[in-house]
Amino acid sequence: MSEMFASPYFGVALSVIAFGIGVKLNQKFKTPFCNPLIIAIVLVSAVLLIFKIPYEDYNKGGEIINMFLAPATACLAVAVYTKLQILKQYWFPILVGCAAGSAASMGSVYLLCRLFGVEKSLTVSLLPKSVTTPIAVSIAEPAGGMVPITVVAVIFTGILGGIFAPLLIRLFRVSDPVAAGLAIGASSHAVGTSKAIELGEIEGAMSGLAIGICGIITVLFSMLVL
Amino acid sequence: MKIIRQIGIIFTVCWLSILVEKILPFAFPASVIGMILLFICLLAGVLKIEHIQEKADFLLENMAFFFVPAGVSIINYFDVLKSTWIQLVIICVTSTVVTFVVTAWSVRLTIRWMERRKNNE
Repeated sequence: MSEMFASPYFGVALSVIAFGIGVKLNQKFKTPFCNPLIIAIVLVSAVLLIFKIPYEDYNKGGEIINMFLAPATACLAVAVYTKLQILKQYWFPILVGCAAGSAASMGSVYLLCRLFGVEKSLTVSLLPKSVTTPIAVSIAEPAGGMVPITVVAVIFTGILGGIFAPLLIRLFRVSDPVAAGLAIGASSHAVGTSKAIELGEIEGAMSGLAIGICGIITVLFSMLVL
Repeated sequence: MKIIRQIGIIFTVCWLSILVEKILPFAFPASVIGMILLFICLLAGVLKIEHIQEKADFLLENMAFFFVPAGVSIINYFDVLKSTWIQLVIICVTSTVVTFVVTAWSVRLTIRWMERRKNNE
């Protein structure tokens, strides 16, 4: 009975079904709290825990899904390339904003971790949390971070950005759509970008650009500090 | 055949990026090398956007799904989270707001500075 879960088909099928339920719920309730990825993670974890299925069995399928992470990251280049026109026009403010934002993100995480006396492996897991998941994982993992903590922190950060972006724009009077879009992308990557697209075309494009550029800048910064 | 060719192109870029990662004298994530490599290929005209459009859309639109297994492995880390989750929430909230404000204001200052310089000319 137990070996039926050790087939890679099980892990892939369970992940797809759970994610499908997440997408359906997200469409129905339309709130950033109903993030399909969070719902899928909770559902799969619940199934594994309730039926006492070993994580290693599930991960036989999980490894197949993981294989698509690097190609998905590479394809961010396509997203940047389609926005080449805006990139040429605003390249300087984009570069300055993304560099400042990446430094602010890593700096504030580091200071807060020191303040709370958080242990080193946890600090490393949180440092790249503002950039998109594949880049964050590739920074945290070789530096001795805990990958799942990074993944959850990244998603949580993205959801926060999606929820609070409109409020922050009003609170700090960010009237320029270029500045607003970059701020959303730099602070909350792809999940925030889906909100930025709702706000306007320039906001969406800028937010998408910030994902790729902040990702690269954060990698460069982390090479200096880790 | 179209989709298979697109998968072939993107997987080739990823494989090349692993080669580049091995050759580089410092540690740099292969996935980001792949992104830069693909961007250069598009800029140089070696690849046309039509060559990879459908596969890229498929990967970008479903990006979140590929993180399900990575996220599920959180069940192996419950004991770490149990003692630290309040700090983690505070850290995430604070640094998200700080990052947002710093980015927005530095972009605004830069754009203003550029406009002022333009007007002076």
